[in-house]
Amino acid sequence: MDNIANHENWKSCFSEIGPGLLLFARQWTRSAADAEDIVQEAFVKFWRRNHTINNRALLYTTVRSIALDFIRRDKRRARREATVFAHADSTVEPQFEWEDEAQSALAAAVNCLPHDQREVLVLKIWNELTFSEIAGALGISQNTAASRYRYALANLKKSLQPQ
Amino acid sequence: MNDFQELENELRALRPARPSPVLLERIEEAMVENCRADASPAGQPARLPYNWLSLGFGLAAAAVLLLFAVLSMEHRQGSDKEIAQVAPASETRPVVPALSGGRGVDGSISSNKFVPAGATQVVYNTRNEGLQFADGSREPLRRLRYQTRQTWQWRNPSTGASLRVSYPSEEVVLIPVSGQ
Repeated sequence: MDNIANHENWKSCFSEIGPGLLLFARQWTRSAADAEDIVQEAFVKFWRRNHTINNRALLYTTVRSIALDFIRRDKRRARREATVFAHADSTVEPQFEWEDEAQSALAAAVNCLPHDQREVLVLKIWNELTFSEIAGALGISQNTAASRYRYALANLKKSLQPQ
Repeated sequence: MNDFQELENELRALRPARPSPVLLERIEEAMVENCRADASPAGQPARLPYNWLSLGFGLAAAAVLLLFAVLSMEHRQGSDKEIAQVAPASETRPVVPALSGGRGVDGSISSNKFVPAGATQVVYNTRNEGLQFADGSREPLRRLRYQTRQTWQWRNPSTGASLRVSYPSEEVVLIPVSGQ
């Protein structure tokens, strides 16, 4: 993709990456409205600074940074932030559009993943970032990103197996 | 990773919720506002108050520095005048204490005062002018005339400046002569 700051093609860029961005932002918010606020601020900030869309890691870093700031702004959210990672399974719910029961179960299983694993899974599966880009966006090593991804898949497979 | 290939395909088939159309409109409005702020000249006056504020602070700081510099220079000039006025008085003051044993009048040493540093008396000629009889005396007196050069020296301990006065003098001494 070209530089989204230099032409009017930002709409097509956003329509392509928007759902993944929103899903990524939902990692830190309970409501879709809050996630949309974060995505709007991050995308406009990214666009205004004239970064190329190829530098996707920076875009997701911006979303993550704004999401954390968004949480800290509100005291109630700040209190929740202290426990959000510990109780991420029950409080953070990424939003999916499922068509059948199998997909519903899969979405529920994704929601139950630990936060660090789900974060990598969202970036890898629904945002199509490489492990190198994920590492850059989350500030972790590439091996850690790959490891978390493997653990996420293993946990999903285990949770989806019939009892 | 092949073990998870099927699971990955299932995950990719699970689509995240799409953003609401309102979000796209909001982003578009924000983009337009940013474009206006960046491109139009109307965006520039908004920065002016900040620039004027910075300029004002800079000028105020410069004025304060200048004021301090002027006050400092005036204070220094005042000190110089004080030293120039005190110095001539100090040149004459130690003469009295030097003659009375080399101590100052008030006993204290100021930074603007000179203290006696030394006194020398060099006799470069002695002349015997013979015997003479004083009025009413039956014993003769030998009259000796000493030609000397006296030098007085003062020194300012704080500044290290020194002052030296040298002048010729004559002294006549009458020594009683006793016959043996």
